[in-house]
Amino acid sequence: MMSGSSKKTRLLATLAIIGPGIIAASAGNDSGGISTYSAAGARYGYKMLWMMMIMTPAFMIIQEMAGRMGAVTGKGFSALIRERFGVRPTFFAMLLLLASNAATTVAEFAGVAAAMELFGVSRYLSVPIAAAVVWLLVVRGSYRHVEKVLLALSSVFIAYVISAFMAKPDWLAVGHAIVVPQIVPTTGFIALAIGLTGTTIAPWMQFLVQSNIVDKGTTIKEWRIARLDVMVGALVANLVAMFIIITTGAVLHPAGIMATSAKEAANALAPLAGSYATLLFAIGLLAASVLSAAVLPLTASYAICEAFGWESGLDRVWSEAPMFNGIYTFVIFLAAAVVLLPGVNLISIMLISQVINGMMLPFLLIFMMLIINDTRIMGSYVNGPFHNILAWGTIIVAISLTVLLVVMTLLGVG
Amino acid sequence: MFYLTQLLGKPVVDASGQTIGTISDIAISTGEVFPRVTALAFRGPDKTPFMLSWRKFVESIDDERVVLNAERASLRFSYMQPDEVLLHRDLLNKQIVDTQGMKVVRVNDLKLSESRNQLRLLGAEVGMRSVLRALSPHLENAAAAIAHLFGAELSETVIAWNYMDLLDRDLSSVRLSVTHKRLHELHPADVADVLEQLTPSQRASVFEHLDNAQAADAISELEDAFQADVIDDLGSERASNILEMMDPDDAADIIGDLPYDKAETLLRLMGVDQASTIRRLLGYKEKTAGGIMTPEVTTVTEKMTVQQVIESLRRESADSESIYYIYVTEGDSHLVGVISLRDLVMSEPSVSVTDIVQRDVFTAGVDDDQEDVAELMSKYDLLAVPVIDETGKLLGIVTVDDALDVLEEESAEDLALATGADRTFEATDAWSWLGRKSSWLTIWTITGVGGAVVLGRFLPTLRATLATVLFIPLVMRLAEEIATHSLGVLIDAGDPEQRPPLGKRLLVDVAVGLGLAAVSTLIVFGMLEVLNEPRAAVTVITTAVGLSVLITTIAGTLVPYVSLNKEGTAWRVPSALLTAGFALLGLVVYLGAIAYLTPIIGG
Repeated sequence: MMSGSSKKTRLLATLAIIGPGIIAASAGNDSGGISTYSAAGARYGYKMLWMMMIMTPAFMIIQEMAGRMGAVTGKGFSALIRERFGVRPTFFAMLLLLASNAATTVAEFAGVAAAMELFGVSRYLSVPIAAAVVWLLVVRGSYRHVEKVLLALSSVFIAYVISAFMAKPDWLAVGHAIVVPQIVPTTGFIALAIGLTGTTIAPWMQFLVQSNIVDKGTTIKEWRIARLDVMVGALVANLVAMFIIITTGAVLHPAGIMATSAKEAANALAPLAGSYATLLFAIGLLAASVLSAAVLPLTASYAICEAFGWESGLDRVWSEAPMFNGIYTFVIFLAAAVVLLPGVNLISIMLISQVINGMMLPFLLIFMMLIINDTRIMGSYVNGPFHNILAWGTIIVAISLTVLLVVMTLLGVG
Repeated sequence: MFYLTQLLGKPVVDASGQTIGTISDIAISTGEVFPRVTALAFRGPDKTPFMLSWRKFVESIDDERVVLNAERASLRFSYMQPDEVLLHRDLLNKQIVDTQGMKVVRVNDLKLSESRNQLRLLGAEVGMRSVLRALSPHLENAAAAIAHLFGAELSETVIAWNYMDLLDRDLSSVRLSVTHKRLHELHPADVADVLEQLTPSQRASVFEHLDNAQAADAISELEDAFQADVIDDLGSERASNILEMMDPDDAADIIGDLPYDKAETLLRLMGVDQASTIRRLLGYKEKTAGGIMTPEVTTVTEKMTVQQVIESLRRESADSESIYYIYVTEGDSHLVGVISLRDLVMSEPSVSVTDIVQRDVFTAGVDDDQEDVAELMSKYDLLAVPVIDETGKLLGIVTVDDALDVLEEESAEDLALATGADRTFEATDAWSWLGRKSSWLTIWTITGVGGAVVLGRFLPTLRATLATVLFIPLVMRLAEEIATHSLGVLIDAGDPEQRPPLGKRLLVDVAVGLGLAAVSTLIVFGMLEVLNEPRAAVTVITTAVGLSVLITTIAGTLVPYVSLNKEGTAWRVPSALLTAGFALLGLVVYLGAIAYLTPIIGG
């Protein structure tokens, strides 16, 4: 009896703790992610798969680090940056976060526009409506209820896994590409590599997973269970990403389709869904975009308010938390407005936003590394050597890629 | 006033003038209401951290550095005490939460105040201004200047330390509270310094925690401008009790500043003796010897012996403000002479007063200007001066503390007169009213508008006239700024060391003028474009504004140099005249340029 009940409570406790990671990671496969992975596969075949092989463990341990910081300190990432480094570096970090989040939110609205254009609806109609809906979802706090539905809908991207098998790729070539790094010396390839880093290890995801852990009040003891969830979530999200590259690499690349539009990208699902590929792609893209368009401005708003100590929270009215409400409102409507600028290519916007993410990432990771190795903050829970090597490695690679891109652009190489 | 973020990283210099490290933190002891700074933490050359007792080793502190009173070799380093908190490590950047758990803001900066060679923590700065300062002091100044240009103030938001509660040394966040520790350990002057920094509501809550005697002492030490406010804010019963405990001259000063009704109420609540003393003092003119004197004087007669005088002192003068001089009178308080406490103590008890009295006394007439009295005392190093009427009757004494207040007050007024910023005193006559900046601006704007309307006759359309008028306030406001700047140079010029060579100054100011002209031109251009003015009008007005700003700026540089004579003493330029002159110049150039350019370009 005793053991039965204790087993049951432990199960409940486990279930209660599990969740944030999978949500955070799934939301990572947003319109920016889909477009970047699709473009990687369509333009370079399997050549970029090896990066996923390196980034998956990096992403897992970085998410683990963010969650661990939250569990040990009970504070969000931006609060820790502020308390450890002071106003000036915090301002810099928040500027980076705001830039990367705003850019990604633009990508989300581009995703909405692209998805709705597949249904034949003009972006000048769909984007303003989406912005209003997203804003209302956030303001009304009803976003929590809709979240599950959107998550379910966006999980149609698991269809890529099935589609990958049905496309019958050359598995030997796939395996070869995963283990043998290949680089195409063009600016296009380097830029896409940066975008791939930025979308896989998006800066805002570290803020999100940490604040989720803090909000749940997860202690460092509970963290031992919860980190499994975070790491499994990261793994699953990256596996799906790899299958998107494999599918597009098998279906679009040989046909010479560059995935420069949503319609082209949608064709990758044809082996599975046939003529319904476009429909399936559009539904998934729409759901993922709306979901992330709500999450991203909120993440930025929470983080910035936490850094400067302003009141925040969805249950606060405008006068109680003016900056909090102001920031996400600003980001939502600014992002929607950018998409409506005449003559922008939606897929390009999505790709560029992820490149921006990739360029901002290493700087925020440096802050993270300095904090998590500070014994005054983390006590005995500082990083071990394995974590440090992998995380610093990621930072160095990300910075090198950006430097390489700048140098190549300046010299006109590639 | 010091800010922690400005102090961090500043050099620590030992007695021999050698820099031995940079400030890394400052420790306070948490037990007090406005905690004293107890220790200085600094980092030596190889980043080694050190800690020093503030009381033992810090000689002085200014915006640039901390100077120690010993050489490096003789410093004794200390360790953190249990009740100490490090401002940078433990407080800066921490979240402030109110009693309801609502996040208020983070601690952006900590404000320290120096009083009597002691540095005390006033409170946490939380406003936007402190964020800007932490980013860069230049940014703060720029923002303040921009706000000023629009007539707003970029104010500081300080949460007084006494509202902050460090719960059981859990320093993860700072919780606000309205509970206080007792205030009585502080010297009244320190309490007064601190009170002056607080908002009225904060001040009121501090007073709730002081007993009447402490409150009376603290109020006596406050600046005049605050005294009446503070008393006015207290309940009548309490206010009158506090006033009764104060020296009658101080009390009379305060009551004199109160509205009539309130003053009467308070006087009626007091004891008869106190009230009549105060009423008598109130009868003397303000700013005269009578206005600042205290009627509590120790008097003796010539017939007494030293022994008797000492006994009478013990008996009657325990409460007197000053007993350093004992005045000898005869008949109806007619002043005969003075005995100093020194003479008294040095003489044998049996000696008669007649033998030691000094008949040649410095005195002040009851209607003498208070400044003259203060200067007399400062010149002859007197601790008190007797005040007499025309018949030689002794009315009271002016003590040295009152004289010091006068000197301080007068120098503040002189400064205010010189800069035209007359916020500290009430302007009563028409001339000083005219001197007030805002009225000048109003008058000249009206004149300017009138001028523009006249000018409008020469301009083809009414629309162009309106556009011309639109920018007159901008031109005037800038001219006023330039006048203030120029005046600042004039005041500095009194000190030859502060005076940079003309060439350099001219170069800098012309550069500033060009920048200012460029910015105002851009603003004007933008506004006109938005208003969709005709191209020609845009060109004319934009050029006129730029020209006006540029020429006034250059004039602003030249005026101080023209007005200086060879000895380097400044020619006395009334600030109002200067402001008016610049406003006129700016306006003339602006309207002149429009009148001249319109026929050429066509408007």
